[in-house]
Amino acid sequence: MGSFLFNFFALLTVICAVGTVVNKNAVNAAMCFLLALVGVSGLFVLLDAYLLAFVLLLVYAGAVVALFLFIVMLLDAQGGPRRPFKPVTIAASTISLALLAMGVLTIYERSHLTAAPATPAGPTLKEYAYQLFSTYLLPVQIVGFLLLIAMLGVIVLAKKHEGLEDIK
Amino acid sequence: MITPTLEVYILLSALLFAIGFFGVLLRRNTLVIFMGLELMLVAATLALVAFSRYNGTSDGNVFVFFILTVAAAEVAVGLAIIVALFRKRQTIQVDELNALKK
Amino acid sequence: MSTLQYAILVLTLPLASAAAIALFLRRQGNLAAALSVLTALTIAFVAISPLALFGARDEGHIDWLTLGNLTISLGIKYDDLAALMLCIVGIVGLCVHVFSLGYLHDDAAKARYFGGLSIFMFSMIGITLADNLFMMFIYWELVGFSSWLLIGHWFEKKSASDAAKKAFIVNRVGDFGFLLGIILCYWANGTVNLSELGLHHTYSTLVPLLLFCGAVGKSAQVPLQVWLPDAMEGPTPVSALIHAATMVAAGIYMLCRINVLMVPDALHAIMWTGTITALYAALCAIVQSDIKRVLAYSTLSQLGYMVAAFGLGSIVGEGQAAKVAVATGVGAAMFHLTTHAFFKALLFLGSGLVIHACHHEQDIFKMGGLRKKLPITFWTFTIGVAAIVGFPYLAGFFSKDAILYLAFANNSYVFAVLAFTAVLTAFYMVRLWKITFLGAPRSEHAEHAHESPLVLTGPLIVLAVLAVVGGYAGHYPKAFAGVIELVPEAEGSAHTTIFLTSLAVLAVGAGLALSFYKTAAVDTLAEKFPGVFNFLTALRNAFDAAYDWYVAKVQQRFAMLLNFIEQVLLAGLIVRGLLAGTVGLFGLGARALHVGKLNVYVYWFLGGVVVLWLFALGVL
Repeated sequence: MGSFLFNFFALLTVICAVGTVVNKNAVNAAMCFLLALVGVSGLFVLLDAYLLAFVLLLVYAGAVVALFLFIVMLLDAQGGPRRPFKPVTIAASTISLALLAMGVLTIYERSHLTAAPATPAGPTLKEYAYQLFSTYLLPVQIVGFLLLIAMLGVIVLAKKHEGLEDIK
Repeated sequence: MITPTLEVYILLSALLFAIGFFGVLLRRNTLVIFMGLELMLVAATLALVAFSRYNGTSDGNVFVFFILTVAAAEVAVGLAIIVALFRKRQTIQVDELNALKK
Repeated sequence: MSTLQYAILVLTLPLASAAAIALFLRRQGNLAAALSVLTALTIAFVAISPLALFGARDEGHIDWLTLGNLTISLGIKYDDLAALMLCIVGIVGLCVHVFSLGYLHDDAAKARYFGGLSIFMFSMIGITLADNLFMMFIYWELVGFSSWLLIGHWFEKKSASDAAKKAFIVNRVGDFGFLLGIILCYWANGTVNLSELGLHHTYSTLVPLLLFCGAVGKSAQVPLQVWLPDAMEGPTPVSALIHAATMVAAGIYMLCRINVLMVPDALHAIMWTGTITALYAALCAIVQSDIKRVLAYSTLSQLGYMVAAFGLGSIVGEGQAAKVAVATGVGAAMFHLTTHAFFKALLFLGSGLVIHACHHEQDIFKMGGLRKKLPITFWTFTIGVAAIVGFPYLAGFFSKDAILYLAFANNSYVFAVLAFTAVLTAFYMVRLWKITFLGAPRSEHAEHAHESPLVLTGPLIVLAVLAVVGGYAGHYPKAFAGVIELVPEAEGSAHTTIFLTSLAVLAVGAGLALSFYKTAAVDTLAEKFPGVFNFLTALRNAFDAAYDWYVAKVQQRFAMLLNFIEQVLLAGLIVRGLLAGTVGLFGLGARALHVGKLNVYVYWFLGGVVVLWLFALGVL
């Protein structure tokens, strides 16, 4: 059963990821992204990280993708005509592909890892919270500060500025 | 059926990362590029959780927490920039946004 | 209050006054003047009454700065010598302060002037009370600073600001030697505290000679005497206080303080320096036509006398006998310093009144006939002249006799030169007196001169009285016994010889001057003996010309060489070429990377991933 679920979610994720990247229409791409996130969330559940799975759905799928959709629909921009790919791009793509292949081979050659999970269930919510508030307290504070700055930045950026020249 | 060992999870994560990367490389719509970036981040989180699970620690999970927060903040700011840019240039195609070029 | 507390009060009062003036009373000239005069009054009163007459002699110090083994302490040494000097500073200071009230009544920068006077009083009292050489050096420099401030009071005049700079720089040259001496003294003896040095010190010729360098600068001995005549650019009260009575006497005072370090060789050098200065200055004074310049050269000459007196008191034996013999030099020098302070300040203030009455005219050949017009000034000035030339039974008579007696007993060459210088002193002072006051008025201003109010003539009268009675050493209060006892008294046949010598000197000099000089509009010497006149003028200019040549030819060229090295080699080659150039190249390279296109940045990202991958594989 675990194996089946894993395969299902993994396949879902990969297909939807490809869909995100390939789709011409930005809205379609966003919806595919959403489904990819659902797949990843399922994988998290299979890895016993229940809290993270839900947080992913809530924050990422719920807030971030929603935001993406808002902006996509706000900036109802049409893409221009398709242009042929530049040689640089083709070269870069090949290199990435090669790296990926190398990576896969490396992992399979060099891994000495066991088949089954070593320990039973993952961390509980209590352990998780405890870690957040003791070992990782400083990062929590810094991230809070970061969110504050991001909020301020967004407010400033999104303002309409009157009288500025077009820089084109 | 592939059994979910650690290598498989890592492979999956690498695959997702590569897909995201190709998205960033090959697409011209800024918003889709952004989604590719997010895909890369999600791939990283997957790898972290997998490792954390297989080593029995919770450090990976906690780290994912922070990645999520930072990603959210980044998306907010990035989209605000894109909106501002669109207002200025009326385009979000990446190859037309090259005013910083000499 | 104890002695030390009174001493600290006297020291800090003028500092407080100067600070108050500098911070709050910049624009209120009258308030500043009042504050400063009150401070001077308090100082004079405290210096005489609680301190000198009734205070116990004491010393104490606090450790100020400790750097490893070196400890610089600030302390007060109040003995008879300090008591005497403090009284002189207080009395003359008070007279000058009161005189300044009237003299600078209409000056635009009155507050700055009185602030400067207060700072000067602070620095001078600091030198007087200092108990170790480091502290004395600090106040030494402060006195130099106040002198610069006050000489350049009318700094809009280029000559005044130049003179102030010259004074400071020449003093600095002397102070360099002084500092070296202090450091050497510390190194050789482990202490610079005067009392401790008195108890135990190592024998050295270099230390006292280097310390004497400070006196050469401050007391304007040859070859650093060039600043004093130019310092007359300052207001006359300043000349009276600083460049006649107190600051220039600080060098003598310092010599008396380091009395214990003296060795026969150093004293020999000191004696000859003083003698040469006395003679040189007297020769230069004969051909001056500015009333203040004559007095300046006269000061130089008398300072030479004091230094020579100090140097003379020594050449007798070693060990304990030498110590006592050196002390007689101290006595003679300090006695002459005291009397000189009184009559020179009197002469300067009198000249100030004359200048003021003749509407800022300083050329004596444009004066004349002031005897009838300015009676008080005339009589006080006459007393001053009489005192300086050694008129019997006035102050200068006794002090000069003490010096001549010392010279007679120890070194006949020096005695001959000093006696000749005394002739010259009488000669030029009577010349000055005659041409300024006697005869008929030679200009409009001299015609319309009138006597000045009491605030200006009062101090003159006080100083005139002191110039008359100041010589009667026996009448000095027991307070100064430590110093006055050291004044050499001639006995028997020596007494008669010295008495006759001084009478002869007076007669020859004064008589020559009275008969030779006519109260005309031109210098009689220039008329009758132009060769002598030109020779003496050239002598006067010789030192300035030499220094100008040195600065122009040697120093400027060296400076240009250094400038070249700095501009071309250091700044150009190394800084701009090597360092800044490399940085510039890096900047250019980094700029090339900043293309505007997003894709390029992604490719760089890919490149980074490749590098990391290789690194992880162990290839890099």
